[in-house]
Amino acid sequence: MRRAPALALASALALASGVASANPLDTYGFGSRETAMGGAVSASVRGTHASYYNPAGLADTTGFELALGYFRAAHYLSTNGQDNQVDPVRGMNGGLVLPGHVFQVPIAFGIGVHLPDDRISRVRALRQEQPRWEMYDNRNQRLYFATNLALRPFKWLAVGGGLSFMSSTRGRLDITGSANIFRPSQSEVRHEVDADLTAVRYPQAGVKVDLSDSVRAAMVYRGEFQLGLDLTARLRGDISRLTTALYELETHSVNNFLPRQIVLGGSWDIRPWWTANLDLTWIEWSAYVAPVASLNVNLDIPPPQGGWPATITPPETPAPIRLQPLRLSNRIVPRLGTEVLAVQRPRLDVAVRGGYEWAKSPIERQTEGVTYLDLDRHTISAGVGLAARSLVAEIPGEIRVDVHGQLSVMPEETTLKSRPSDFIGDYRASGHIWNLGTTVTFTLDGASRKEAP
Amino acid sequence: MTRVASRLSLVALALPVACATLGGEGVGDRDLPTTGVGPFRKLETGEVPGSAPFVLDDKLAEYRDPSAVVAPDGSVILHAVARDKAGADVIVRTRALDAVSFHGTREDSGHTPRVVLAPALPWEGPALSGPSAVLRGGETWLYYAGTGGIGLARSRDGFTFTREPAPVLAAAVPPSAWETTAPRAPSVIVLPGGELRMFYAAGTSIGEARSADGVRFERVGAAPVLAPRPSDVPLQKGEKPAFDRGAVADPFASVRITPAGRLHVRVLYTGYAAAAGASDSAIGFAARYGESGPLESNPLAVYAVGKGERGPAFVEIGRRSFVYVEQDVVTLGTDPKRRAIAAGVAPVAEVLESPRGFPAEP
Repeated sequence: MRRAPALALASALALASGVASANPLDTYGFGSRETAMGGAVSASVRGTHASYYNPAGLADTTGFELALGYFRAAHYLSTNGQDNQVDPVRGMNGGLVLPGHVFQVPIAFGIGVHLPDDRISRVRALRQEQPRWEMYDNRNQRLYFATNLALRPFKWLAVGGGLSFMSSTRGRLDITGSANIFRPSQSEVRHEVDADLTAVRYPQAGVKVDLSDSVRAAMVYRGEFQLGLDLTARLRGDISRLTTALYELETHSVNNFLPRQIVLGGSWDIRPWWTANLDLTWIEWSAYVAPVASLNVNLDIPPPQGGWPATITPPETPAPIRLQPLRLSNRIVPRLGTEVLAVQRPRLDVAVRGGYEWAKSPIERQTEGVTYLDLDRHTISAGVGLAARSLVAEIPGEIRVDVHGQLSVMPEETTLKSRPSDFIGDYRASGHIWNLGTTVTFTLDGASRKEAP
Repeated sequence: MTRVASRLSLVALALPVACATLGGEGVGDRDLPTTGVGPFRKLETGEVPGSAPFVLDDKLAEYRDPSAVVAPDGSVILHAVARDKAGADVIVRTRALDAVSFHGTREDSGHTPRVVLAPALPWEGPALSGPSAVLRGGETWLYYAGTGGIGLARSRDGFTFTREPAPVLAAAVPPSAWETTAPRAPSVIVLPGGELRMFYAAGTSIGEARSADGVRFERVGAAPVLAPRPSDVPLQKGEKPAFDRGAVADPFASVRITPAGRLHVRVLYTGYAAAAGASDSAIGFAARYGESGPLESNPLAVYAVGKGERGPAFVEIGRRSFVYVEQDVVTLGTDPKRRAIAAGVAPVAEVLESPRGFPAEP
């Protein structure tokens, strides 16, 4: 058993030291059981997926657990009746939990991963004026990776915490040399590229309190992070011995911003076979930093002796961008979830789940300038889970298969632009999102399921 | 148990590594909302039959002042000013099936655009300018400018025109404070109720006139609907003064109903940093909601290439908008500097297919 934690820790360190990661899980959920329950699981989550919902839930895992799943969230987001073809978010998710004891106190180490299946991370710097589905287009095209540790110092109390990892990008491009505009093949230029992925960490922590045998409460904190993108470029040299050219560019943008969140949750076993959950998530959207690049450019191309030929128009230094503020409001997102153990047999359980989430758009109506598209979102979800115990003699424990389906509906809204000369103009926006997925979980040497009465 | 747990840990470690692949750029930016008037990018080599970004170019004719309209068959009809063999400025008509391959441009050897209107009436003077075509009831109504104001010629076939004997909008008598020259560069739109509105240039500004029948126009209000942008606005460090602080001219108007149901009058125009006609110019966009009122202009130019671009016209075909402007042709050696008609497209991310070829007739 000692080697497994060591391997897990090694994998955590290896992955943390250079890959970009982020958090599409806020939008689409993590794990089929939890997604099917509308994400309202902070007080009832257990096992692998506690790494995201509430690290304290790791402490409820009684045996080594490995989960692996896949989901695909397809966007159908349209403006003026035209589908804007926002990319789907899809990929594997899962993780593992290694439980144990220290001084007879139950502890558990957990890793949670969401791995997109066609990219690890996408960086986009769009023009400020370009409309974009801010919450769905680029922010969710990320890898999520978190490590957590949990312990249960008292029978009624579990606490947990850990770090999620991100990586900022810094890059520098130097080009020096001589450009021959009459014989390009005789140009001599030297390139120097320096790219740096710097790890960024943000904390998460949770606590779970068993108020009674049937009522639990939880609080979770998730820290804020900003994924920066800094690029500098410097071009220096001469042009056919006629003149010299110097071009310096510095740009900085926040390509991904995850706001601070606090979750308050409760879980009530109404009957031994029926659980109802409620989560309220406070999201500090007001701190949001728009993903617009600030740009500083210096261009110096002195005219050659005798001035520029009539056929050549020298380029001019671009005017600085007048950044327009993006105002977002803090939001409280309510989530409801329920789980019913429909079948209980010694070697098989079948659970039916449902959930609902209402996320009011934090982006204020934009009647002027920029167009960050977003809408209020109603999400309903459902799912089924099968838990089979001791199916294979060589692998004692439990195998669970969960599936979920989730539909987000975004009712149409019409935005009127105040300035007639706005390049975007009035528009109608609407959409829906389908999210389907499954998770398979192996739990060895014990059962992390809710014990039947 | 230890062995099983270790192996499963290795599997967990290997799966992400095995699956981490590089994806494409993705999309998410298709059919985004737009007013259809830019910003435009100039067309590139491979998107036009000849030398990009020009779509109507001839050393002798020196095409200028384009006006575009989409025909019922989907082709783009372009009227433009051209110099005839006698050296007079006349109005010609040409056509493209793909919005870029215009009959009779330099690469379409053996053809020339058809001359449809030449100066003939005393009030027109020696040169015609500012064509603006409106397709109405199966006829082509061609408004144009002469020395004494704005005239109208009508045609059933698009080639043989019958003109009104007098200007449909003559110089203001007495001249108003802003309308210090005869009206020129007309652009006419038909409102949903059937009334016609004409935007025209005069002095350094743009005015508006209305007509119920399209033949007799009366001015709307005493002030221009668009004037040069005030030049006393404080600038940020490095920010350039307004491109249209000197004069505004050459309106090209179009009307639409927005997705929210509002009437939207859109006007492209030439903005001059100094006096009208100077080389420091760019194409701007002004608009209003509703049938009447002043136009409000965007401070950013929608087409600016530093080639003395002016006289814009645009058409919308599907999700694309094409802008046609008159601008300098870069000439080498001893060739004299000349003007030709260039084209641009919006949204700027659009990439055009290869040109479809020239139509047999203009």
